[in-house]
Amino acid sequence: MSIASLTLLIGVLLGASPLVYLLGRLAVRLGWGMWLARGLALLAALAAWAPFVALWQQFAPTGTRSLFFLGNLWMQVDALSLLLAGMTLTLGTLVILFSGAYMAGETGEEKYYAMLLAMMGLIIGLGSAGDLFNLWVWFEAMAVSSYLLVAFYREQPASLEAGMKYLTQSAVGSVLALLGIAVVLGQTGSLDLDQVLAVARTAENQMPLLAAGALFLVGFGVKAALVPLHTWLPDAHSQAPSGISAMLSGVVIQAGLVAMLRALAALAGQAVTWGALLLFFGALNMLLGNLLALRQTQVKRMLAFSSLSHMGYILLGFGAAWWSGSAAGAQGAMFHLFTHMLMKGLAFLSVGALMFALFHHAVQQRPLVGDDLNGAAARYPMAALALSVSLLALAGLPPLAGFMSKWQIFVAGFQTGDGMVMGLVVFAAFNSVLSLGYYAPLVNRLYRRTPSVAVGAGGGIPWTMQVPLVILTLAVFVLGLFPAIFSG
Amino acid sequence: MAAWLSLSLILIPWLGALLVWRTGDAAPTRQHALAVAFSLAAGVAALVLVPLASPLVVFTLPMGAFFGELTLVSDGLSTVLAAIACMVGALAVIFSVDYMRGETQLGRYYTFVLLFIGAMCGLVLSGSLLFLFFFWEITALCSYALISFYNDDPRAVAGGVKALIITQVGGIGLLAGALAVFASTGSYQIADLLAKAPQIAPGLMSVVAFGFLAAAAAKSAQFPFHTWLPDAMEAPTPVSALIHAATMVNAGVYLLARFYPAFAPIPGWTFAVMLVGLASALITAFMALTAMDLKRALAYSTVSQLGYMVYAIGAGGVFASQFHLLSHAVFKALLFLAAGAVIHGVGTRDMRQMGGLGARMPLVRVVFVIGALALAGLPFFNGFWSKELILEEGLKHTPWWAYGGMLLGAGLTAFYTLRMTWMVFFGAARSERHAHDAGMAMKVALVALAAGTLLTWLAVGGFSGLMEESLPYHQIHALGLPGLVEEILLAPATYGALGVMALGLALGWLLRGRAGVSPPALVEGLSRTSFGFDWLNGHTARGVHHLAALLQKTQTGQMNWNLFGIMAALAAVLLVLWWSAP
Amino acid sequence: MTPLDIVLLVAVLLLGVAFYGLLITRNLIKMVVVLQLLVKGVVLALVLAGNVGGRAALGHSIAVTVIVADTVVAVVALALAVQVRLRFGTLDIPGISSLKG
Repeated sequence: MSIASLTLLIGVLLGASPLVYLLGRLAVRLGWGMWLARGLALLAALAAWAPFVALWQQFAPTGTRSLFFLGNLWMQVDALSLLLAGMTLTLGTLVILFSGAYMAGETGEEKYYAMLLAMMGLIIGLGSAGDLFNLWVWFEAMAVSSYLLVAFYREQPASLEAGMKYLTQSAVGSVLALLGIAVVLGQTGSLDLDQVLAVARTAENQMPLLAAGALFLVGFGVKAALVPLHTWLPDAHSQAPSGISAMLSGVVIQAGLVAMLRALAALAGQAVTWGALLLFFGALNMLLGNLLALRQTQVKRMLAFSSLSHMGYILLGFGAAWWSGSAAGAQGAMFHLFTHMLMKGLAFLSVGALMFALFHHAVQQRPLVGDDLNGAAARYPMAALALSVSLLALAGLPPLAGFMSKWQIFVAGFQTGDGMVMGLVVFAAFNSVLSLGYYAPLVNRLYRRTPSVAVGAGGGIPWTMQVPLVILTLAVFVLGLFPAIFSG
Repeated sequence: MAAWLSLSLILIPWLGALLVWRTGDAAPTRQHALAVAFSLAAGVAALVLVPLASPLVVFTLPMGAFFGELTLVSDGLSTVLAAIACMVGALAVIFSVDYMRGETQLGRYYTFVLLFIGAMCGLVLSGSLLFLFFFWEITALCSYALISFYNDDPRAVAGGVKALIITQVGGIGLLAGALAVFASTGSYQIADLLAKAPQIAPGLMSVVAFGFLAAAAAKSAQFPFHTWLPDAMEAPTPVSALIHAATMVNAGVYLLARFYPAFAPIPGWTFAVMLVGLASALITAFMALTAMDLKRALAYSTVSQLGYMVYAIGAGGVFASQFHLLSHAVFKALLFLAAGAVIHGVGTRDMRQMGGLGARMPLVRVVFVIGALALAGLPFFNGFWSKELILEEGLKHTPWWAYGGMLLGAGLTAFYTLRMTWMVFFGAARSERHAHDAGMAMKVALVALAAGTLLTWLAVGGFSGLMEESLPYHQIHALGLPGLVEEILLAPATYGALGVMALGLALGWLLRGRAGVSPPALVEGLSRTSFGFDWLNGHTARGVHHLAALLQKTQTGQMNWNLFGIMAALAAVLLVLWWSAP
Repeated sequence: MTPLDIVLLVAVLLLGVAFYGLLITRNLIKMVVVLQLLVKGVVLALVLAGNVGGRAALGHSIAVTVIVADTVVAVVALALAVQVRLRFGTLDIPGISSLKG
């Protein structure tokens, strides 16, 4: 049954993509309303929920992984792939709804929705890939769709620059991963994740396999934005349309991480080594992300650097799990993957809503800086509240979701009883405090009494943009108060 | 019954916060009314809960595998503190009806005040370390939001962020301690920790104990974290009275008192606690001598008095510390609210521009003097009994120099209290400012707190009895009212302490004419930089920014450089693997 | 020297040239060419790996797939490069580094 649900899930999204494009082109040519294309995109995203729920119901009672052939592709469904699918669908649906007004009237609007739907389908496919090469193909296809979305404002030099850098770095990364696949193929004669694992454990010469792991780590690590492979991220996240910034920060870099973990899991004979490396990169990510975020004046760029530091927390969780073999770290990291999607999605969408209002739809005219947001709460109470909640949640303050997921990672770290991991947990806690140094002043700005010029001259925010903010804000609160919902 | 009451102490204020927020700033009258109604309801519930105190868990809510259970325990320690939070909270809210009239963003103000009251109750009632930390952080969040309430003033924003960051840095100690306890015992329950403390490895236990001490010192603005509280005085005055005098800053003292039985056997712990208390009490008493800003003077005195409580715990006097906490909460809230009435009336916080205000606001002067006498520790106000009790514990259980230091502190307290009172209410008016008297709501709150200042010490028997019955690990012995009177009045040390205070008062009286004169440069410098610790804070912050600016240079935006990053990382990983391979 | 060794040598050579090119190329179009070199080196490595691992057919089919996928990337990259030339008036990489810090 899983096979039908998964095929349907990916099929709906990938199938709707060209239809939306076609409808959009027709709308442009024949003068129909673009709302048809928008509506179809939203409908497709909503329709994809049905097979997802079915898949989840099949998986949840037993919690066992199911493997099957789709055509001649090995696919698998486990907790990680379901998590990634759930994250993609949640944020994707809300982003499509949000983008209706945000992207209205942009040249190439139809491409936007088509690419977004395709990207969603491809990410879900990536999460369920069962062999290494299959994984790479999904990964590469996802990457191509995201290049086009990042460089969407092609009249804008900065956007093109960001897209070009993203493409080059990402392409080099995926080629390195491919080289890793070649090494694994040469050494084990197989690409199936389970078979590779079995053969790799008993291989006499581990060095080539270690090299393959390094290639996976660095290759997929470009997309997952490990420091120092991260340099594309602040550019891409700040220049993309806000909905895409949310997708990139909330789902796409996590998809890169999932790809990396899947590939490394095939070489799990060396799990301790990979765990140590993940911990090391986690520490680097936290420190560099926070320190650089501290220096930013542009709001979206600051949020981009904050994504780096949150990737650090996630790496800390997975790293602790592999380093010491405790499942708790991985569960904590998966929880944080999910809450980070909610929090960062909310942050980018509320910033997007404010840009939309302050710049009167001409969202790409210039970057939004902190000063523009002075006193925004008086005119835009919902967007300001949403942004404040997301920032405080990202900083890890209760009763918001970020507190609980960080706590779970920290608990897992202490449960390992390993001095280095516990030291890193304390280091992570210091980083959380450091992050308040840039989150808190931004929240203060929103509630000033004297509004900035931009706020004074701003327009309205339509309800289609408010609804996603409300939903995500509520979710951030609910998961902060009742974290057990997620574990179930 | 106790279950519902305990829960309602958290939920009533939070529901009120929700309603005030949803009411919106267009209906300020309703916002005032709602806030008063909900805070009073919480106050009543808290008072009903006090006599029901017991060591039992009254409420349990499972939160999932990693989060244990949210439990509420309403024992003697927690119910009294919850009652202080709710009662002072209600009075501060009533006071705010006048103080905040006509302010914009009233909804945000009351929402956070009510959120704070609920969180403070949760903090003391929580039987789980995780949820203790959870509420601990919410109180920090509320404190930050209210310090920065006047967001347009950069000093208010800086003060709020500073308070948040410093208390959070200390909070890491609590976080790490709680995690270590859970990792080793598998439980977040405080009762479990107290019961199993002797079986936990001593090394781990001392990490927990000193971690908690750091958290407590940061929360209670104790040395070396004492720098944030004076800057927190940018908050609206009722908030200073509630959060930064009567409740949240007590959370640190509460934490030490709560875990005293588990930590006392750790070598060096009680000594460290005593030192922290001593240093805080003396340093800030010294700073209060020369302060010109009325609220900052009160803030220094708060840190100093909290130092007495911390010192008491170091001396083993858990009950003495909590008794002084009760007295201090009432008289310091009174002093702050009276100061608020003055500031509201005069329009400045600078004491050099006040003077002779007693003529225009007679009631405020009367209640302020009552509060001042209690702060100075004169008989027979509540501060007298509790401070003497602390000094007596100190005499018995701490070295002579520490006791001597605390006595000196008592003298300094008497001195600066007189100076402060004189500068504000007596002598000739020193500016042309026209002061207007306090409003009705303000007066209600002031009179209630003044009555409390005169009377709360009478509750010593009930308070200590509750603690004896409901705290199985603390070994507190009930001290009846006759016992207290006998113990204090018959002890020769009491008269020595009174002599020192009288000396301080006499000195203050002689120097009253020079109160507005700027102090010598060295003294002024020490006060301004909080004995160098503000300088240290500033340099730490600047150091972090410098490091960040340096790292920022690595983000060159050059594509080749970015690609070099990938190559270098790959080479580094390969090298490490090759080097570490067997 | 067996034929496999020669393939390996060429693959390593291609990769080396490409890695060097990534660091020194200052023109966007040339950068796309360098990326192609890199991919071609890896494609050779894949074919080789298929042979060594005893899965020659798998290696070949993967190689073909990679070539197709990579062509798409190259097309997108060139399309972006055209736009860059239009908006920036240059293809010089140091000239398109406005986003930094």
